[in-house]
Amino acid sequence: MVRYLTMRLGQALIVVVLVTVITFVILHVLPGGAARATLGKDATLDQLAAFNHDMGYDQSLVRQYFLYVGRLLHGDLGYSYQLNQSVTEAIGQRLPKTMLLSLLSTLLAVVVAIPLGVIQAVRRNRWPDYTITSLSLLAYATPIFFLGLMMIILFSQVWPILPAEAPQGFTLGEVLSDPAGLILPTITLAIVTIAVYSRYVRSSMIDNLNENYVRTARSKGMPEWRVVLVHTLRNGLFPVITLLGMYLPALFSGALVVESLFNFPGMGRLFWQSALKRDFPILLGVTLIISVATVLGTLVADLLYAAVDPRVRLRGRAS
Amino acid sequence: MSAPTDSTDRSRPLLELRHVSTDIALRKGTVHALADINLEVQAGQVLGVVGESGSGKTMTALSVMGLLPAGGSVVGGEILFDGRDLRSLPPEEVRRIRGVEMGMVFQDPFTSLNPTMRIGAQVAEPLRVHQGVGKAAARDQAIEILRRVGMPRPDKIVDDYPHQLSGGMRQRVVIAMALVCSPRLLIADEPTTALDVTTQRQILDLIDDLRDEFGMALVLVTHDLGVIASRADRVAVMYAGRVVETAATADLFRAPRHRYTEALMQSLPEAADHDTGAKGRLYSIPGLPPDLSRPPTGCRFAPRCRFATAECRTTEVVLSTGDHQHACLHPVTVPAPAPISLRPGPAVVPTPAPALGVREPGERAPKAPAILSIRGLVKNYEAAGGALRRATGQVSAVAGVSFEVHPGETLGLVGESGCGKSTVGRLAVGLEVPTEGQIVLDGTDIATLDRRERRLMRRQVQLMFQDSYAAMNPRMRVDAILAEPLQIQHVGDASARRARVTTLLDQVGLSRRVLERYPHEFSGGQLQRLGLARSLALQPRLIVGDEPVSALDVSIQAQVLNLMRDLQHELGLAYVFISHDLSVVDYMSDRIGVMYLGKLVEVGPAHEVVRSARHPYTQALIDAVPSVDPNAVTRRTDTTIRGELPSALSPPSGCRFRTRCPLATETCATTEPPLTGDVHQVACHFPLRVESAEAARA
Repeated sequence: MVRYLTMRLGQALIVVVLVTVITFVILHVLPGGAARATLGKDATLDQLAAFNHDMGYDQSLVRQYFLYVGRLLHGDLGYSYQLNQSVTEAIGQRLPKTMLLSLLSTLLAVVVAIPLGVIQAVRRNRWPDYTITSLSLLAYATPIFFLGLMMIILFSQVWPILPAEAPQGFTLGEVLSDPAGLILPTITLAIVTIAVYSRYVRSSMIDNLNENYVRTARSKGMPEWRVVLVHTLRNGLFPVITLLGMYLPALFSGALVVESLFNFPGMGRLFWQSALKRDFPILLGVTLIISVATVLGTLVADLLYAAVDPRVRLRGRAS
Repeated sequence: MSAPTDSTDRSRPLLELRHVSTDIALRKGTVHALADINLEVQAGQVLGVVGESGSGKTMTALSVMGLLPAGGSVVGGEILFDGRDLRSLPPEEVRRIRGVEMGMVFQDPFTSLNPTMRIGAQVAEPLRVHQGVGKAAARDQAIEILRRVGMPRPDKIVDDYPHQLSGGMRQRVVIAMALVCSPRLLIADEPTTALDVTTQRQILDLIDDLRDEFGMALVLVTHDLGVIASRADRVAVMYAGRVVETAATADLFRAPRHRYTEALMQSLPEAADHDTGAKGRLYSIPGLPPDLSRPPTGCRFAPRCRFATAECRTTEVVLSTGDHQHACLHPVTVPAPAPISLRPGPAVVPTPAPALGVREPGERAPKAPAILSIRGLVKNYEAAGGALRRATGQVSAVAGVSFEVHPGETLGLVGESGCGKSTVGRLAVGLEVPTEGQIVLDGTDIATLDRRERRLMRRQVQLMFQDSYAAMNPRMRVDAILAEPLQIQHVGDASARRARVTTLLDQVGLSRRVLERYPHEFSGGQLQRLGLARSLALQPRLIVGDEPVSALDVSIQAQVLNLMRDLQHELGLAYVFISHDLSVVDYMSDRIGVMYLGKLVEVGPAHEVVRSARHPYTQALIDAVPSVDPNAVTRRTDTTIRGELPSALSPPSGCRFRTRCPLATETCATTEPPLTGDVHQVACHFPLRVESAEAARA
């Protein structure tokens, strides 16, 4: 187990290093450059050159990269002149809020999607299945900005019961003190996820309900609820674990569209604004965090699998 | 055959089916799976239900249990359990009866258990749910019932998961689960079909013992006439959704009345006349069973029956009355000759038959050079284990196997799963590279050839698969499938290939109209014909058949076996015929090699190996085959194998069979016995029947 983890973490490290190289190179060969973006269109060539010299942008890419990595190893993700704060600080302010929003919506999605999928599988090809399937496809096909706008129009204009803007608090505590503001973004994010997850749960449950072990359970005279919930559900949830693992990066990256739409001060909006302003240090920092999260996410999914599926857990021990 | 011990009214059957009909609604039309089934099972009795695939035998079992697949429902008749109609009882009561009073054992132990639930929880579940037994008490009872089904270390197994157990052990768990509430009726649907023959023997013996112990009635559903003959009190023969004949077991096997039953028995490889040495053709039932979404009128077997008349096709035939019932207008009147058993007869000294058809290398002076010669063949696989999939050792799949195959000869390779017989086949055709040893094709060691020469050499040896459907590209038409080997080997131009393809179809008895069809449009038997045609495309001299008929019903199997023998005579082909089924191998082979855990333990003329086996393993294998002769007493001989196949990761030292051998001594653990003898070779320190074999030769 220790060896396995060591190896997986080694692989993860390689991926992360490659990601930093690629992002670094791409961002620095883009036309325009950081100097122009920071100093504005009125800046003179001399001013630009001075800025580039101060920032080390006039050195070779390789050297810049190693300087960047050297700073990284000291926990220094860089400094954003445009936000006038360190990258660590900028991300540190937004990450907890993004994680809060993502966690809430994922939790909501899982809690709703699993029963929906199970109901569809059990009532397969009857009206509950058809109804939920239609709604899922509708939700899945709707662009999220449209969905978000409709939510705002419906629940804060037509029927004004919820705020259209997410809480603007500076700290996590301030955000939490305004829970009503979180409701619309959370639900908007969750709806699409529910549509996806419930489809997976449905097809996985249908597959499992046709398995021989389910027939065995019925032959033991088990009541139907027991057949579905005790025997089939655990086996039917494996695809959800994979999905959750793949979703983990979104916990860190946030949701670009929804955060912008509800003006939520999270990672997604930070990334979006930094990209518009060519704020390289921020873009690099966020990309790095997301790539680490992606790699860790798959690792966590694998470990979760081992926890739920004895066949994976005991592989190698079984003879 | 214990007397019923409970208070059940003896005049009333425990289970009675009256005019039961079952339909399965599909997207397109309805399959009338069962039509007017009448059956009776008395308390403590064993009813065998036998039939080929699609006969409705499993549907009968599932109808009783109320476990029909989606779309299936019982549409008519009564299913009386202890006098109460299961169709009119409230669902809760039916569920209780199903869980407590009836138990069911399924065919495939590998998929019948919940993979994420511990064994103990699965076995104890009926106790907890139906009888409200507490957790600790249920666990104790689960351990107890696991012990009674012969599970080693049951107190440890309860905490294991199914994938940690072998197939035989999993089937014991399924049986324990079915028995945990002491049911009055056990339904076993092909309980041993997925298992090896020695394991089958263990499981069938176990069911027998438990039936006596629990005083249960048993419905034994199987396609295997041998299993039925040795275990059932009464037999019902099913065909196309109907019961066509039912009788006491001995009566049925001694004198089958229905023409279908008769034909089925004549299709068995055991029915071929062994004593002459030249084994005759098997009787094969022509055609296919009817499509049950549009069942034919009249006798459903009439379209395939040798004795059918116009009357058969128009009159609905009902079961006759009496003890031996049949639904046939032209029943068999003269008792057929008793089926032949695989068992050695008493005091019959085997004569090394110098007969036609049996080639014995070493006896005929100018023998043709071997087409395939395998010397000291070894194949090890890296065993990957653990989460990292790192190599944890070596699996010894084939460990020093040597044999020769001569032109026109059939060498049968027989052994249980994991013995390495398929690996030998794959090595012989070059699908795998041996770890050690030589493969000499037609006098040339293929290791010495370069790529091009090796490809040309491949033409000489072709492979035929068990599952031809899986072995064909589903998106290719038959003409492309059959022409592909010719294309790859650059044989002839397009028109020559077309001509060759039509010849091939003629040879395997398929109409030329099938050229534009796709694999999924064919039945199992037709697919094996196609598979055979493809392996014949390059005019090989040797065909390696890996379980070529194992997936087929008896009557279809006979068709394919006959075809293979006809082509052998016509084309002078040699076969390596790999199968787990000793009676099929016996029927097909001139010589038989018996494999155990990567070793060839015995090889010799088919007649001698089967009728006077010298290796204890071979004898155990033969004893384990259920005989279709109901008079053959199923006795537990000294050679009944107990226990499980050891792991090929760490095979036993010395003789690999010693851990399960009744004759093993210390010598067996220290010294590996070499394969000795000239014609009939055996690798054993204490071979059976040495004297008689030597006497016969003297």
